[in-house]
Amino acid sequence: MDEPALIQTAQRGDLDSFNTLILHYQDMVFHTALRILGDEDQAADAAQEAFISAFRSIATFRGGSFKAWLMRTVTNACYDELRRQKRRPTTPLEPDTEDGEEMDSPRWLADPNMTPAQQSEADELEHAIQHCLDELPTDFRTVVVLADIQGMDYSEVATAARVPLGTIKSRLARARLRLRECLRGFEELLPSSFRLEEERNS
Amino acid sequence: MKNFRDIEQLSSYLDGQLSPSESARLESRISSDPELASAYNDIRAARGILRKLPARKAPRTFTLTRQMVGLKPPLPRSYSVFRFSTTFATFLLMLTFAANAIAPNMRLGMGAVAPAAQESYSLCNGCGGGPAATEAPMAAAPAPETGIVPTQMPSVISADSAREVGTPTAEASMPKDSGNESVSQDQPEVKGEALIPVLWQIVLLSLGLVSGLVMFVMRRAAMQKWK
Repeated sequence: MDEPALIQTAQRGDLDSFNTLILHYQDMVFHTALRILGDEDQAADAAQEAFISAFRSIATFRGGSFKAWLMRTVTNACYDELRRQKRRPTTPLEPDTEDGEEMDSPRWLADPNMTPAQQSEADELEHAIQHCLDELPTDFRTVVVLADIQGMDYSEVATAARVPLGTIKSRLARARLRLRECLRGFEELLPSSFRLEEERNS
Repeated sequence: MKNFRDIEQLSSYLDGQLSPSESARLESRISSDPELASAYNDIRAARGILRKLPARKAPRTFTLTRQMVGLKPPLPRSYSVFRFSTTFATFLLMLTFAANAIAPNMRLGMGAVAPAAQESYSLCNGCGGGPAATEAPMAAAPAPETGIVPTQMPSVISADSAREVGTPTAEASMPKDSGNESVSQDQPEVKGEALIPVLWQIVLLSLGLVSGLVMFVMRRAAMQKWK
């Protein structure tokens, strides 16, 4: 794929060229949105919005890393989605007791971010990691998703998140520490290599 | 737990963001400080876990359609000329209708103002002092016999009588009278005649319609070609 040529023709309004770029980047874009938002449907919507927005503003792309530029559009779409959620918060449905009152089990009170259904899903490592990512503040989550999940370098992350390099370093360090703390709660799910580190440390 | 600066350094070290000298210094510290080594392992483990996370494939394709991005078919350059001519012809046509609607009313208004002015003038003559004032009521008397339109009558007669007397007031009113006469004579003709001829309106309407039709055909052709 000749990316610079495709970008150039897309900048002249050629939708087919842009669609070729979409096919190349759509998995990465969706995965990033999924890790930031934590919901497949919302991630798909955000990815679609991001591509529409990217096509409309591709004329503003002035070279550099197209991947970082695209990721900036994706993070913006995710932030928009999160803001929308904040404006219209949804209350999870809780099962009623026999008296018709909502059940407040101690387990739910201890971890309000996980419903029983999510708890069972969290038996898998992926869900455990997603749960820990969801616990992070949005800015930290974005940085850690871009750097550690997408494997982008610091300058690309700085471009995508629109923050200075120093802020990226500090956010990344804090995010990794918090994730480590959170993942301790799912030790039995962690790969053996990770557990070996634990044993070595203790 | 080490201080945050150490944690940040460890994180940057993992990503290869430290200079060789900084890396060497940190490595020696890690080997000598078990707490720092533990923190290093923690961060490395967290990073390793995230990197092992399986990449999820997009559930569907996100390719865009022209409708999604609001793209319109490219139109020929002459399209803008026709668009301009349609707009301009429509504007002019509206203007002609407006002009034709307003013009007769304006003329009527002007015609109505003049007799009113004359009336007030003659009334003034009647109420004011001086020779003309004394003549006016006398002159008004024969009006029904002459059979002249009442609105014109007082001023005409008063002018005639004033001319006979030769007062400066009567002389001054004479040009006014003659002017009013001509207006009142023209009035019936003007009423039936439009300011802008109907032919012009037909021409403008045809121009607007033809240009609009050409625009429609051009857009249709561009859409079909685009598909």
